[in-house]
Amino acid sequence: MNAPRAFRYISTDRRVREDRRFVVGKGKYIADIAAEAMLHVALVPSQHAAARIVSIDASRALALPGVHGVVDGAELAAACEPLMNGLDTPHVQRYPLAVGATRYMGEWVAAVVAETRAIAEDAAERVDIVYEALPHVIDAEEAYKSSSTPVHPAHGSNVLLDRVFNWGDVDEHFAASDSQLSLRVTWGRNATVPIETFGVLAQWDPWGAVLDVNASIQMPKYADQIARALRLPMNGVRVHYDVDVGGSYGVKRGIKHSVLTGYLARKLNRPVRLLEDRLENMRSGDAHGPERIFDIDVAFNSDGVINSMKMRALDNAGAYAGRAPFQLGKPIGAIVGPYRIKSVHYHAISVTTNKAVEEAVRGFGQSPTNYAIEAMVDRVAEAVGVDRIEVRRRNLIRSDEFPYLIPSGTRYDSGDYHTVVDKVLTHVNWPELVAERDRLRDEGLMAGIGVAACLEPSGGNSSFEPLLNPKNTTTTWMESCRINIDALGDINVAIHTTSSGQGHETLVATAVGEALEIDPARIRVTRPDSLSSLPGNSPVGSRMAIMLGGAAFKAAEKLKDKFRAIGAHRFGCAVDAVNYCDGNLSHGEQSLKWLDVVAIAHRHFHELPPGAEPGLEASFIMQTPTGEALPTPDGRVQMYPCHSFEFHIVLVVIDPELGKPDLRRYVIGHDCGVVINPHIVKGMTLGGIAHGIGAALLEEFVYDADGQMMSQSFMDYLLPSASEIPHVEIVHHCTPSPLTVFGQKGSGESGYLGAPAAVSGAINDAVRALGIRFEKLPIRTTAISDAIAEAKLKGRLP
Amino acid sequence: MKSAPFTYCRPASVTEACALLAADEDARLIAGGQTLVPMMAMRLARPTALIDIARIPELAFVRREGDHIEIGAATRQAFAEANATVALDLPLLARALPWIGHSAIRNRGTIGGSIANADPAAEIPLVLATLGGAVVVQTPRGRERFAARDFFLGPMTTAIPADGCLVEAHFPVWTHQRIGACFTEISARHGDFAYVSAAAQVALDDNGSCVACALGVGGATAQPTQLAVDLTGARINETTAREKLSVAIETLDMMTDPHASPAYRKRAALALALRALLAARDEALAKRART
Repeated sequence: MNAPRAFRYISTDRRVREDRRFVVGKGKYIADIAAEAMLHVALVPSQHAAARIVSIDASRALALPGVHGVVDGAELAAACEPLMNGLDTPHVQRYPLAVGATRYMGEWVAAVVAETRAIAEDAAERVDIVYEALPHVIDAEEAYKSSSTPVHPAHGSNVLLDRVFNWGDVDEHFAASDSQLSLRVTWGRNATVPIETFGVLAQWDPWGAVLDVNASIQMPKYADQIARALRLPMNGVRVHYDVDVGGSYGVKRGIKHSVLTGYLARKLNRPVRLLEDRLENMRSGDAHGPERIFDIDVAFNSDGVINSMKMRALDNAGAYAGRAPFQLGKPIGAIVGPYRIKSVHYHAISVTTNKAVEEAVRGFGQSPTNYAIEAMVDRVAEAVGVDRIEVRRRNLIRSDEFPYLIPSGTRYDSGDYHTVVDKVLTHVNWPELVAERDRLRDEGLMAGIGVAACLEPSGGNSSFEPLLNPKNTTTTWMESCRINIDALGDINVAIHTTSSGQGHETLVATAVGEALEIDPARIRVTRPDSLSSLPGNSPVGSRMAIMLGGAAFKAAEKLKDKFRAIGAHRFGCAVDAVNYCDGNLSHGEQSLKWLDVVAIAHRHFHELPPGAEPGLEASFIMQTPTGEALPTPDGRVQMYPCHSFEFHIVLVVIDPELGKPDLRRYVIGHDCGVVINPHIVKGMTLGGIAHGIGAALLEEFVYDADGQMMSQSFMDYLLPSASEIPHVEIVHHCTPSPLTVFGQKGSGESGYLGAPAAVSGAINDAVRALGIRFEKLPIRTTAISDAIAEAKLKGRLP
Repeated sequence: MKSAPFTYCRPASVTEACALLAADEDARLIAGGQTLVPMMAMRLARPTALIDIARIPELAFVRREGDHIEIGAATRQAFAEANATVALDLPLLARALPWIGHSAIRNRGTIGGSIANADPAAEIPLVLATLGGAVVVQTPRGRERFAARDFFLGPMTTAIPADGCLVEAHFPVWTHQRIGACFTEISARHGDFAYVSAAAQVALDDNGSCVACALGVGGATAQPTQLAVDLTGARINETTAREKLSVAIETLDMMTDPHASPAYRKRAALALALRALLAARDEALAKRART
């Protein structure tokens, strides 16, 4: 288990096949797909944080030439089922358009369909809506109070989830510890804001009774949800998966857009396309990430060994439920991070407020939790006066302790955390890095080093669903692959999902090539539509290397078994005695070439073993490794199967007057087991770090006290650009997972899961001498400068 | 993000442009469109007509005229950035231009467009104000020259009459032997609108004493502000400069927005103005004195 196997194609330096079409501008994105006589949608947003819809008058809009229709929430509510909620909250009903009341600024109140998007926007301005403002609540703590105004009066309160878990002897461990401390850290509302906004094209075929859907989608159970909402059979919805998705990392859920567009296409009997513009995406796309307040009590010994932790996590889910509350559940699978914390008290709270709806974002809640854990470990180190890295070393799970069962019921598969830390420290020359920081301080700059260790749970199952919603007993979370070797012996592999940059075509070609011992460049990968697809759950939860890679490999193994059976029949030997090498079969002196086997399978039924099916096809539907059991009554569950490890070190220099942080050095140690394609993993990691730097320093969806969104465009929602991202040095390590076909683990969230903690830690190290501590992300340039100035004014200058 | 309907015309001359402008009070001039087009896309600006002056030949030039350089309003920022006359005779403008957005923006954005738009954080207006330059505006009644201090009235507000078209910007040329210039700014990210920007140009005599000094800050106040700081007659030293700058900046009325408080702007204005000044001084000192 410890040493990775030798591979022919896996882990080798091979091109990412998708890159070719993207680099030359030949990707097929949703905006590239048009249908004849297609109509366009524009939305009418609410300007109120909360308001009753008194009346909607579309007559002026409908009078405009080129306008084909205007629909509102009342019409949709009569014709559709509410969108799916993750939790058992039947009275928090959500439709694509506001029904009766609007619950956040920007919420769509009406949809206008016209010949062009420009006409639709002109008409949208002519939809006359009378509102009556209602009380609103923006702040999560405020919303949690029983006295707060419920966003959904029928639900009775703003509380979607309020659950306390006790895993282990928390009280005993607190009592037995030398010390304890408390901290509060806050994760600002950010997201993955993709270059391409969400888009969907729906066409209704009344003669076939099928709704064709092309969308920029990354969504589990997408076709199911459309079918349920539109009261169609699921075989009446055909989702096309051969659409390139221009960025997602969780947020391309677009279910309300898709149900709305599907409804409009059926109603108007014309193809209808909705492409969000940037404003619609940012204020109304329901694609904001977690916004979370953590209150932590931690019990530890004087040597820095952490015994127990109490964590209260209060998440601001926005105006509707969706899947957002589950983002408090997924981190339960790594609630102690990479550390040997013996017991945990976890209080998970999700509340509704009058903000845009929270959706899945890279890591599904793990990055905020990792940030809180790492802030806690830094505070423990400070309290006991032990170096931050040494404290981490004393708490990290040792390599000989795997598989390691954490208090909340998940078993970590494998890891070698101390070795990764040592490799990184050697790479950066730790004493020299510390000396450099101190030299910079001597020059009058504020310099600091940040450290973060964390896990990326991967192989996504959905164990948080039954854990947080007793009515949900889902334990199946499969992914599928189908391989067909055609009559000329060429290999076709089908996958059953869209991709948003993860390189799935490269992944499955590599996995199948490895199994069949055939150059992956010879393997075609296609994406049938949902009506021709095997079941799957889409690329979420860092699962596809494990699940799609696993399904592809196992389908290929089944195919090899068919090869061997044909060989055994010809050779007159046992199946086990047939040797498969480079696609050819042999037994002693006898041999069958690849094309001989193809000929037998496709054309020579008389040479097939008795009872064998003709052709060469194999499918594999793979269940996630582990996690097949329902949670225990005390809330322990096996969450994701595999656990990648990352260890970040950052050197930051802050201009003491202007406050601007400059990341001078960024090093990450990364262990995601066996890497399938090094370029893809590198790209994921670099992008994840950039995203994490954005979360730490720049990105936030800001609302004012009136519920008005202050960062509706890229003027105010600041994404890091190439100028803000330092060169990143990656130190590799490979601890294979014993649970996966090649030893691979997930890497789709790598970098992002530790970067915010590391950058924040670096800034706090830089300003520590002034008695300043930043405990809310993002940490803005101006806030740093203001805090330094205030500290100097109070004479805290060292 | 589609603009409200509008008509578009491309007049051949400034006279024609002014006539079109006078005929429709909701018409707007467009040159590079780097501010106006996004504003229109978000329907925050809704002109009935766009009068495109970007290709009027008489508006694109850089020429020396007496003690100043005149730049045509529709001259692209990228053109000015690469222009040898600007590089040689307008060191402060040359230093400022690369701070404007990103190169793609400067390829379209014009010198006059930035001045007429009068964003408090814009770089070219700050250079014009710092050097005490002027602009020329044409209306159906003729041409009128405005000193920079009389021209920038507030955020996005200038002295241009409703039927006026900015046609030229005049930047004074310094002829001293030892000149140094520096432009610097602070923003959240490279290329963003500055929270605060600072411009400094100094001339030193053979002994290193300051003989001319121009200082300004942008982004901080409602319009680009020339700082009333006289450092001539002596060598520029940091202590004295800091004191004088503090006094000058203390009196300024700082803007506020969600990104930066007035206190931040004041602090950054002092820090950046001082840095710009000292960098300009050092650049001038590095130039050879007459022997």
